Amino acid sequence: MGRPSIRSLAGGAAGIAAGVVSAVALTSISAAGPPPADGAPPVIDAAHVPPLLTLPGEPIRLRYAIVCTPREDGKPCDGAGEVYARPGNVGVFQRFELRRGEESKDGRYYVDLPAELASSPDGFSYYAVLRDESTGASLTVPSGGANAPQLSVPLRAALSVRLGRHEFGRLRAADEQVVAARWGSALPQVGLSGSRDLGFAGPSSFDVEPDGTVDLLDSVNGRVLRWKRGREEVVPLGLTAELADLAVEPDGTFDVLEARGSLHAFRADGSSKWVQKLAERTWAKLVHGPSGPIVEQQPSEEWLPVAEAGSPLATAAQADRGRTGRPLGNGHELLVERVGEGELRVADATANAPLRAWRITSETPLGEVQLAEPHGRGIVVATKAYTDERDEFVVLVLDESGIAAQFSVASNSFTETAPLARFRLAGSSLYRLRTTQTGTFVDRFDLEVPR
Amino acid sequence: MRIFLVAFGIGLVLTGATGAQAYHRFWAGCNYDAPTFMTTMTRDAAQDYANAARYEGYQWGGGCWNYDDRDSYPNDAPGDASAHGEGGDCSGLTFKTWRESTDQWRDGRYYWRALRNVHGPYDAAAFRDGVGAPNHVVAKATAGVMDAFASGSHIGMIFSRSLYGGDQIVEAKCEACGTNIFYRTYRSDSSYGGVGRWGWTG
Repeated sequence: MGRPSIRSLAGGAAGIAAGVVSAVALTSISAAGPPPADGAPPVIDAAHVPPLLTLPGEPIRLRYAIVCTPREDGKPCDGAGEVYARPGNVGVFQRFELRRGEESKDGRYYVDLPAELASSPDGFSYYAVLRDESTGASLTVPSGGANAPQLSVPLRAALSVRLGRHEFGRLRAADEQVVAARWGSALPQVGLSGSRDLGFAGPSSFDVEPDGTVDLLDSVNGRVLRWKRGREEVVPLGLTAELADLAVEPDGTFDVLEARGSLHAFRADGSSKWVQKLAERTWAKLVHGPSGPIVEQQPSEEWLPVAEAGSPLATAAQADRGRTGRPLGNGHELLVERVGEGELRVADATANAPLRAWRITSETPLGEVQLAEPHGRGIVVATKAYTDERDEFVVLVLDESGIAAQFSVASNSFTETAPLARFRLAGSSLYRLRTTQTGTFVDRFDLEVPR
Repeated sequence: MRIFLVAFGIGLVLTGATGAQAYHRFWAGCNYDAPTFMTTMTRDAAQDYANAARYEGYQWGGGCWNYDDRDSYPNDAPGDASAHGEGGDCSGLTFKTWRESTDQWRDGRYYWRALRNVHGPYDAAAFRDGVGAPNHVVAKATAGVMDAFASGSHIGMIFSRSLYGGDQIVEAKCEACGTNIFYRTYRSDSSYGGVGRWGWTG
């Protein structure tokens, strides 16, 4: 091998440099993300909090946020729209033009309903058609429009329940710890992933069957773990389900509501049955409906069925069957509205008329309603009392006298679950899911049946 | 010439190494333009901006995305800023949506376009603590649209309050979940604090 000349060394260096530059350029061209999609359809979305349960004489202002494609000048979109409203839940809708306000904190676009409509003894129903004037994009809220309008019901003769100031630290102990499983992937361990920096993920939801069988969605390991009469079983699902919700149907079907907005039904052996996309963009909770799984969704804030008699419903059919109240098996609907900082309104209604209603007020702010379920002749509600530093679950058993029982349970959990999946009611017992640094636990709290 | 061609090939192979690939992934199409100073900043314009980032992915330490409604580089290693994939992380999305300056002492309004790659100087814990001239702590019970809830490891902005007492939160949540609007219960969770941006004009 001869000694390299200056010329050959220079040629080699130049070659390497040219190669690197060329490769970088090629990689940049091939791997760079595509530019903004010019041909994409214009964005239109909305937010609206319906006044579900109204007090006599309460003025009604319906507010909407209209959300569009961001403008180059950074200003809000040029929105417009109409609300179609009517007394009760039948008849012809009247048209009301939305007005544009100066503030957008509660929704920039609004309409004040006339008093005769707002105070109708049968309540009122309505839907809105919202537009971005600059693009022509439009959206109907709720998505079922006139077929499934939002319903507002007068809260007459509501029982008043005053909770006063919440006393933190007075916690009820569980009657029994029915599940205790360490972190891991063996049976009956539960999967844990994540880190201190990124946050930890564990079981995202659970359900309890009428016979007390506990079904836990072991999201990290992609399976359902079952505790049935002292025996543990595993049902592999073949998917990891980040922060998904779970409901088990009477025929053993596992309904898994995935974070990205699809309901995935699995047979009792874990094989896939079907997957159905939800009608709306965001979901809050999955429960059993009278004829299949139903999901509380946004922006409509309605309960939409995702399947009927075991078969999935297309998104348009879901939207057309939306209900403001959660349908119960007896033809009733359960209406729940958290109002302001510390008020909760609950009604058991049929045909727009509350049969029983409760107006609960608290001096301590109330958080989300984790659970509201009929129980005997009463309603069980699990909500949260919180300050900026502390929080605890508050369980209320509502009955015809107002409140039959009340207790607090700890709310801390090491991992995050699906948003409204910390409690389940089965028979006369309330079950709570929690996690610690060592593992997963399901606790049972026995309730007295209101007569 | 033969030496040049051989060396050219070696150069191509060398550039195929992982580090160079990673560096020139999605971020290669991003820019470093100056932000546009603005005199107004409304909460609903912020809703527009954050909503448009939905489906664009998640990148730890990132702040650059386009508007094609998909994550161009999904399944990056979680917590690896060098992956240079598409999307913001939670604090990057908040920083850009809130039109903040990279200088913590400035409280003006700076509009960063989607493909402008910037994360800003705050992590979730800094937002939670109200660090920086534009930021401040708010009572959680009164937090409203496009205020935020922040913990030591995450921040999400309130897209809207909701009927059952939770909130619709627009957030860059994680590599697997991407950026989207999710129903969350951060408001009542004591590991989260309320945080707001000074200077909304409507």
